[in-house]
Amino acid sequence: MIKILAACGAGINSSHQIKTAIEEEMKKRGYTIKVDAVVIKDITEEMMNQYDIFTPISKTKFGFDIKIPVVEAGPILYRIPAMAAPVFNELESVIKKIDK
Amino acid sequence: MEGIINFANKIFQPLIDLGAAPMMFILLSLIAILMKVKVSKALEGGLKLAIALTGIGAVINILTGNFAPALQDFVKSTGIELTITDVGWAPLATITWGSAYTLFFLFILVIVNLIMLVINKTNTLDVDIFNFWHLSIIGLLVMYYSDNLFIATILVIVLGVMKFINADIMKPTFNDLLNMPDTNPTTTTHLNFMLNPLIMFFDKLFEKFLPFLDKYDFDAAWLNEKIGFWGSKFAIGIYLGAFVGLLGQQPATTIFTLAFIGGVSLELFSIVGTWFISAMEPISQGITDFMSNRLQGRKFNIGIDWPFVAARAEMWAAANILAPIMLGIALILPGNGILPLGGIIAIGLTPALLVVCRGKIIRMILIGTIMIPIFLWSGTVIAPFVTETAASVGAAPAGLEEGALITHSTLEGPVEKFIAILVGKAGADFNFNSILAAFGALGAYILLFIWYIKQMKKRNKEYEVNKQEAA
Repeated sequence: MIKILAACGAGINSSHQIKTAIEEEMKKRGYTIKVDAVVIKDITEEMMNQYDIFTPISKTKFGFDIKIPVVEAGPILYRIPAMAAPVFNELESVIKKIDK
Repeated sequence: MEGIINFANKIFQPLIDLGAAPMMFILLSLIAILMKVKVSKALEGGLKLAIALTGIGAVINILTGNFAPALQDFVKSTGIELTITDVGWAPLATITWGSAYTLFFLFILVIVNLIMLVINKTNTLDVDIFNFWHLSIIGLLVMYYSDNLFIATILVIVLGVMKFINADIMKPTFNDLLNMPDTNPTTTTHLNFMLNPLIMFFDKLFEKFLPFLDKYDFDAAWLNEKIGFWGSKFAIGIYLGAFVGLLGQQPATTIFTLAFIGGVSLELFSIVGTWFISAMEPISQGITDFMSNRLQGRKFNIGIDWPFVAARAEMWAAANILAPIMLGIALILPGNGILPLGGIIAIGLTPALLVVCRGKIIRMILIGTIMIPIFLWSGTVIAPFVTETAASVGAAPAGLEEGALITHSTLEGPVEKFIAILVGKAGADFNFNSILAAFGALGAYILLFIWYIKQMKKRNKEYEVNKQEAA
């Protein structure tokens, strides 16, 4: 199972929207994944290493290097399906690569 | 207008009498169905809102039930009069969404947004439906003082229009701060950025008199990593519980209880907060579909919640450093009644600091320190209103009869709360002095905003010039 980390400002609103949308869409496309939503501020290198993919809203700088693939998921928040589609497609191709 | 209100009251009164949770279950589900959301999705949203309202009430009870008596002892043994419990933003959002008027203000603001887009007065389509509560609480505050829905609506519309304009004017700064290409439509109408004008005033003073301080800016990401979990929600709850217990000279068992209850409450507020966000999901999607269908062929930016700027580490470094500063200020600030707890990580302030100071961390911290008293005073004066509103939606603290008050220490829009109070009082007294005060305050507020827009236009022109030079 692929584990994905979503993050936002309070770990409540944006990150949960992203979590729900990714879980729904990837299930439709036939993948078993799990998404956790947290506060950006609380992410440590140790936490990040427990996941396979990181899906922040926008480019994020940490005090360490991110070793897992990053897919920017901001467009999901626009709530307009045509704009979210490229994010899901990119995510799907990353998942395929990892699954091999 | 009077007739409409009377008519609305006739329809709504039996609903209101049911209590907030059942009422909002019915209203939210119905409106989602009207917005062509699938019936099962609409009901899911309505039920989740009822559960969230009930859940937030339960957590507030756990927190105030334990903290209110300890805070009384804290006052006795230290002489510091900080008896208002700071519950943070999630309970206030839930309480505000527990009022049917919030749906009314939402409806008005969606219309205002559409009209402004159609007549090209804004370029931002606001899909951050959930955060409409920020303006609703201001409207409710006007009504708390005046019981006048009409002037409350006028103030909400004025502030709403300013917020859309602000979302447009900030867009190039977001592109700069977050390396977004011009094709990226992300912006935000979030209320916390309405503090930008005041912050910018101090930022300009800084630029004139203290520019040398900028060279002491440090790496914010590094600092945040060092702080690690010590700055997370449950840890902060534990410190403050222990702080209240120790200074309140409680026995050791009580100190531990307070510490852990503090940690539990802050974590639970977030968890219940997520139910509440998912409750709003169907209606948010419905409204977005409704609006974007009416704007076929019009290009626009999209206003979402502020956290896309949370990618910048400076925002968190400032919040981390401002937390202990806020606690210190709270202890000595005359006129403050809040002991910071749920709102001590000031996310109602630091995003605006980031946008105005563009990541210059020393400026952010110093100007943030100047802003904190405004938040504490605002949080203090709205505490009776917040507590009463909480009681009216069934999320009342258990200790209400002993005068236990709740509030949010860093609620976005502190200046707007004072304006709402002045406008509300003017609406209630209707005498010359109070009307003059309301208009004076609103006038000054708007003038400062106009000055800020001018500064931002200059800034945006610089971005334009730089881009052309680079090209």
